[in-house]
Amino acid sequence: MISLVFLWLFISALLQPAYGYLDPGTGSYILQLLIGGLLGGIFALGVFWKKVVTFVKRTFSPRKGDGGTGT
Amino acid sequence: MAPEPDSVQPGSFRDPSGFVFRRAGVLYRQVNTSYRDDYDLLMSSGLHAALVRAGLLLSHEELPSSEGHKTIKPREIPFISYPYEWCFSQLKDAALTTLAVAKTALEHGMSLKDASAYNVQFLGGRPVLIDTLSFEKYREGEPWVAYRQFCQHFVAPLALMSRKDVRLSQLLRVYIDGIPLDLAARLLPRGTRWSFGLAAHVHLHAGAQQRYADKAVKPGRRRMTRLSFMGLLDSLEKTVRGLKWRPAGTEWADYYDETNYSDAGLEHKKQVIAAYLGRTKPATVWDLGANTGLFSRVAAAAGALTIAFDIDPAAVERNYHECRQRDEGNMLPLVMDLTNPSPGIGWRNKERMSLSERGPCDTALALALVHHLAIGNNSPLPMVADFLSGICRTLIIEFVPKSDSQVQRLLATREDVFPNYVREAFERDFSRRFAILDSQPLQGSERTVYLMEKNRP
Repeated sequence: MISLVFLWLFISALLQPAYGYLDPGTGSYILQLLIGGLLGGIFALGVFWKKVVTFVKRTFSPRKGDGGTGT
Repeated sequence: MAPEPDSVQPGSFRDPSGFVFRRAGVLYRQVNTSYRDDYDLLMSSGLHAALVRAGLLLSHEELPSSEGHKTIKPREIPFISYPYEWCFSQLKDAALTTLAVAKTALEHGMSLKDASAYNVQFLGGRPVLIDTLSFEKYREGEPWVAYRQFCQHFVAPLALMSRKDVRLSQLLRVYIDGIPLDLAARLLPRGTRWSFGLAAHVHLHAGAQQRYADKAVKPGRRRMTRLSFMGLLDSLEKTVRGLKWRPAGTEWADYYDETNYSDAGLEHKKQVIAAYLGRTKPATVWDLGANTGLFSRVAAAAGALTIAFDIDPAAVERNYHECRQRDEGNMLPLVMDLTNPSPGIGWRNKERMSLSERGPCDTALALALVHHLAIGNNSPLPMVADFLSGICRTLIIEFVPKSDSQVQRLLATREDVFPNYVREAFERDFSRRFAILDSQPLQGSERTVYLMEKNRP
């Protein structure tokens, strides 16, 4: 939700003229520049979070051979 | 090898990197000299090998060339289909394939410069990128040049199909370069503004396009980092994966439960069809009105590449899921309204082929179809015979008499103005176009299945 709020904040930024070209793809180009940082940040956080989860799982999950009490 | 005049394929004229042509019936692609560096990078970076190995890119072989940089011979796609003929999951799988290609390209220092849905085809039941010349060297700082195209060709139609109505895929037939984002934004429910991906890639994107449509201002100093590029692709993937559609309560969903066939009758029908297919030995079968593919699978089991057409997106969706689950590589379910089949569209009506241009198939199955065309669509039987003779060499067709409950259902809400819809007239009208080789009454019903061969001109 926080990222969505950030996203909509960019809408107001977008309403301010920044740069442009005589090209139908200009808006697509500029949008990427505007939201790219946010998306890159979310992506980096996601990668970092996955690493944390993997680390925690590896640390706290029982290793092979542990807990095998036999009969 | 050089292309002969008029052999250049009409769908490839826009690409400055090369073009597709046919010689002696074989498809080739010329790589233009202007594309030399990017093509060589594609091959030397390991990207081509990685994509082909992953089943994401059509393989090709290089041939000696007297013109251009190279001539390549891509693996042939046995049946070309178009995005407006795909069900929801087919378009979604094609989108995910395109993104997987774009990610792999970035890992190899290249960027996917075209994200057209028409660059994806189904081969062996799975989507594969067919445009080998869609890559360029990645330049750090530049945004994704194909972003707009990806959103128009994939995100917008998938969002409309998922969040509004699955039939809106047909807008792709009108807008050949994808659904305009401002139109998609207006058609989507307001609630989609609170979905992060749709807000960014459709609503905000449409706003940005309108805001900067005619602006001429100095180029900015801002650049898009590689991390941002990866973030954009990741966000698009999450958006596409988050779009879902489940068929429920549609016209044909329970068709096989509602027919007047008993289990034994259905089994007999399968046996008759299998026996006829054993006689025609087709390489390609078009099942016209295939529903979820019950009889298409008889053809596929006989070894034919079987295209299973149906008007109902729900039936096609179910069929496609079954194909994926069973890994049926020689089945391709497609959405097709046979009373208004895909026309030739695009520049000079030649960029995308009509249905009949993609034929003829070896054998067409027209099972429980003729009454829909003749009574449901008011098409006189001679016209139905004309249509079918234009798309197949042999025909397995079922005649459903007026006394059948399915025909009675069609006649329940309309006046019976079809005095010629009788078996004798059917045989007479079809005999003008076909030789009737055999016919068999179906057990437990009043229906008859015919095996016909198209008359030689």
